[in-house]
Amino acid sequence: MGLSRREAESRREAEGKGRAQGLETGWTIMSYLLGGMLAYGGIGWLVGRAVHISMLFPIGMLAGLVISLVYIVYRFGKQQAPSSKQSKQGAEPRPPRKEMTGDR
Amino acid sequence: MTGDVQVVAAPGGGCHIFSGCGYPAPGLQDFEFKPIFTIGSFGFTKPMLIAVLCAISVIVFFAFAFSRPRLVPRGVQNLGELAILTVRDQVLRPALGRKGDGYLPLLVSLFFYIWLMNLMELIPFFQFPAMSRIGFVWPLVGVVYILYLYLGFKNQGGWGYLRNMIPPGVPFFILPILIPVEVARFFIVQPFTLGIRLFANMFAGHLLLTIFYLATWYMLSLSIGLIYAVGSAFMVLFVFLLELLVDLLQAFIFTTLTATYIASSLEAEH
Repeated sequence: MGLSRREAESRREAEGKGRAQGLETGWTIMSYLLGGMLAYGGIGWLVGRAVHISMLFPIGMLAGLVISLVYIVYRFGKQQAPSSKQSKQGAEPRPPRKEMTGDR
Repeated sequence: MTGDVQVVAAPGGGCHIFSGCGYPAPGLQDFEFKPIFTIGSFGFTKPMLIAVLCAISVIVFFAFAFSRPRLVPRGVQNLGELAILTVRDQVLRPALGRKGDGYLPLLVSLFFYIWLMNLMELIPFFQFPAMSRIGFVWPLVGVVYILYLYLGFKNQGGWGYLRNMIPPGVPFFILPILIPVEVARFFIVQPFTLGIRLFANMFAGHLLLTIFYLATWYMLSLSIGLIYAVGSAFMVLFVFLLELLVDLLQAFIFTTLTATYIASSLEAEH
């Protein structure tokens, strides 16, 4: 009885941890997208004001968006790496999806 | 009768479909209130009253629950312990672990204060979520922002805190490109989104409820409008139940994110 309660507690803790991490990751990704546009949009706007080219503001925002996207893929794609390594070592390789082979 | 009731009820009062007047659409005027009383140029409004009442309610509840604590809890102490343990197990421990128990009073206060402030939109007579006025959100965000910056600089040192924002292994020549993104995210976007999310959800929820309340009243007549009035009344019920969930969810998200920000300040994320 005591063991099952402990198990239930640890499972609840793990669930809570997963939920908190998921929430944080989601908002961090959104913050990166906004932060990239804000930072490079701001730089573009400042440079654009100095050299009198207003187009540098939207170009800076787009550049910031691209930088953020690449950074998100680099940072959060890396977190998935151990699990894909595990699947290579342990489980059978997943067969190709039928949609991909065109064999219906 | 206070500000919003007058503003909302005045155009909607005798105004029904086919009576020659248009639908009194709710808008920003529903978030403006006449002062209940004034002291010089300072006007004490209904949202301020709600904020004060919520703060007093949370303080009184927990003070009452734990005024005479017993080893085997009884009565209100049961409820108080349940409230505290819920925040500890669902919000604090998942983000901070056992070492973060010192932040429990802050998180409990934040969670229940925000939740109660949000719930005020559904309680008759009050019928207004104070968090839909952004001025009530920024002080809470300010407390969280100053706390996690202070903890970050204290625990990781000035340079260490800034350096830990960038994950290790990033090539040196990439750093100048990433630093503006991280600085903007950490110092501007993170606190901004923390506040805007709460404000926008409460603002939209209150507007949605007001739209359907008014539409139900406006359509109510002995005509085809009656069918639409019934439909709108169902929508009021639906949005009411939805807002019950949103109120809790927003308090939970704000507190959970506060806990994760504190956790990232206590030790490096990477």
